[in-house]
Amino acid sequence: MLAGYVWLIFMTRITWLGMPVILTMMVFAFGWHIAVGAKTVPLADVFTALTSYDRTNFDHVVVVDLRLPRAVYAVLVGASLSVAGALMQGITRNPLAEPGILGLLTGASFVVVLAVGFFRVVDPVWIPLLAAIGATATAALVWGIAAAAPGGSTPLTLVLAGAAITAFLGAFIALANLLDQESFEAMRVWLTGTLAGRSTDVLLWSLPWMIGGLALAFGLARQVTALAMGDDTAVGLGVNVAKIKALAMLAVIALTAASVAIAGPMGFVGLVIPHVARLIVGADYRLIVPFSAALGAVYLLLVDIAARMVLAPVEISTGLVTALLGAPFFVWLVRARL
Amino acid sequence: MSTFVLSRWNGRLTLRLQRKALIVALILATILLSICAASLMSGSYPLTLREVLATLAGDPPVDTAETIVWQFRFPRTLVAGMAGALFGLSGAILQYVTRNPLADPSLVGVSQGASLAVVTLIVIYPEVNIALRPLIAFGGALLVAALIQWIAMQRTGGATMRFILTGIGVAAFISAVTTSMLTYGNIDQAQSALGWLAGSIHAVGWGEVWSLAACLIVLTPCLIWSARYLSALRMGPEVATGLGVPIKWGRIGMITLSVALAAFAVAAVGPLGFVGLVAPHLARRLAHSGVGQHLLLTALTGAVMVGLADFIGRTAFAPIQIPAGILTAILGVPVFLFIIVKQNTTRQL
Repeated sequence: MLAGYVWLIFMTRITWLGMPVILTMMVFAFGWHIAVGAKTVPLADVFTALTSYDRTNFDHVVVVDLRLPRAVYAVLVGASLSVAGALMQGITRNPLAEPGILGLLTGASFVVVLAVGFFRVVDPVWIPLLAAIGATATAALVWGIAAAAPGGSTPLTLVLAGAAITAFLGAFIALANLLDQESFEAMRVWLTGTLAGRSTDVLLWSLPWMIGGLALAFGLARQVTALAMGDDTAVGLGVNVAKIKALAMLAVIALTAASVAIAGPMGFVGLVIPHVARLIVGADYRLIVPFSAALGAVYLLLVDIAARMVLAPVEISTGLVTALLGAPFFVWLVRARL
Repeated sequence: MSTFVLSRWNGRLTLRLQRKALIVALILATILLSICAASLMSGSYPLTLREVLATLAGDPPVDTAETIVWQFRFPRTLVAGMAGALFGLSGAILQYVTRNPLADPSLVGVSQGASLAVVTLIVIYPEVNIALRPLIAFGGALLVAALIQWIAMQRTGGATMRFILTGIGVAAFISAVTTSMLTYGNIDQAQSALGWLAGSIHAVGWGEVWSLAACLIVLTPCLIWSARYLSALRMGPEVATGLGVPIKWGRIGMITLSVALAAFAVAAVGPLGFVGLVAPHLARRLAHSGVGQHLLLTALTGAVMVGLADFIGRTAFAPIQIPAGILTAILGVPVFLFIIVKQNTTRQL
């Protein structure tokens, strides 16, 4: 009994202390992310560049025009994908749920690639919308297949259906790439998941999707906590299960679409971070959602630093590094949780 | 159904043959031969069947025909067929041993392990002899298979499904390493590795033909001999133990055999996906039969699949060549989904 109280106080402390600690980490990671690169800029200069921008100072131009957007992308994409993963894990009660593993990222990129490559869609307004259409269609397909399987949509059937759809769409992307090499050359790096070289137009048009998705996620957090205990419990607690699941999927699709529009398919971020958040704050999604967002931002900043530094001057795609870190975590989850 | 039994050496080798399965095998062989003929005839320099036969008999109508058939089309067709057979057999053995209808060398990371080993070789040690590729691929594939087995076997019960999920995770990891390797390597080597990785057969020559033929000749007797162990193993570990099969070493031996088959095929044509998954299922649907005959039908089905995929990829969008791996994935995924939906695999989790 006493130990229980001590544990409760301890956990509450962690929760209270956790957020400021993570936000401080985020500020430092943000500064570090901007400081490193082909030309190292001292942290102090990064700070002055952000506070009092001087157009004639070369370092300031590098920091504000080249590196700041990328750091902002990392924060936004990391937060979005992590929250999307947390919501998916909550509403499906599936520890392996994640936009990448269940095929949503590939579906979104597939539609974007086709639209840009074949129909010459260049207006950044349409990119997030197209990604959302692809993600919605893939989600419906994967869930449909998993639900049709004997035993319903278990973690196994969802992962298998997601892997199959990913392979299928991947083959078509490769085919399109072969048939029309010039149009698709520019998309090749984007297709591995990268934060480099996206125009700020895309960011501006993706931002509303992200803000909407995050706001929805924060608003739904309480009901998702109930859903994570099982549909029956949620009904008993007065939750409208179908409505909340639909709204949560809407948030997932908005967040996924915006992330894909900015950075391409960046796998495993949404898998790793919610589990880490759950480890820190427990089962309450009112805490898991904000912690996932903050941790995801820090994680993707650090991953992107690693992607630029490990093989410097060559840069690895950020999506490759998230896969290198996330796939072993996936294997561990399969062993530990299933 | 009429069956007859072929028995040699006091029953040490026994095959139960069924007439229906034999007829199906004959039909498949005929289809395979017609695909070969069509493949030898068509291309940017079309030949008639008579010209092809004359060229193969050593009496070419024109010198061009001899070069085209002997240097390009014939080895390519042979490699496509043999690689398909190897992938199919590898998948079939894996499915029997793990008792898992979804097991496939490209799904559980075995093909990716072989690819990573070969790409590493191409990028970091480009000067190493190309003949060593199959061995290197075998090493990489074996390592990955051992890793997946080790991870999946840590906990008892439901190991088969965990095997697949673990394989998917390991495959994702290895693919990421391979792609990083390509980023790191210089552009010429990366390009040659990329073409190979897409699962394309257009660059093969007689070297690959001999390597695959040697693999088939050495490993086929092992397969025929092992058919009886496979038929015991597919009943489950308890029954197999009761029938006197050494489970542990039987499994290890069979998985090694399966990995070797896949690795040789990958070394020749790159990681072709889903053939090892689809061929055994198609073979089973064509004719129900014992393990030995099923393996024969699987080999033929795999050969037909890859031969057809290569033929279509070569001619459908000519002059652009579609790698066979893309076509096998497009054909294979619907079958994969069909298996998930129809078969009760989920209970085993």
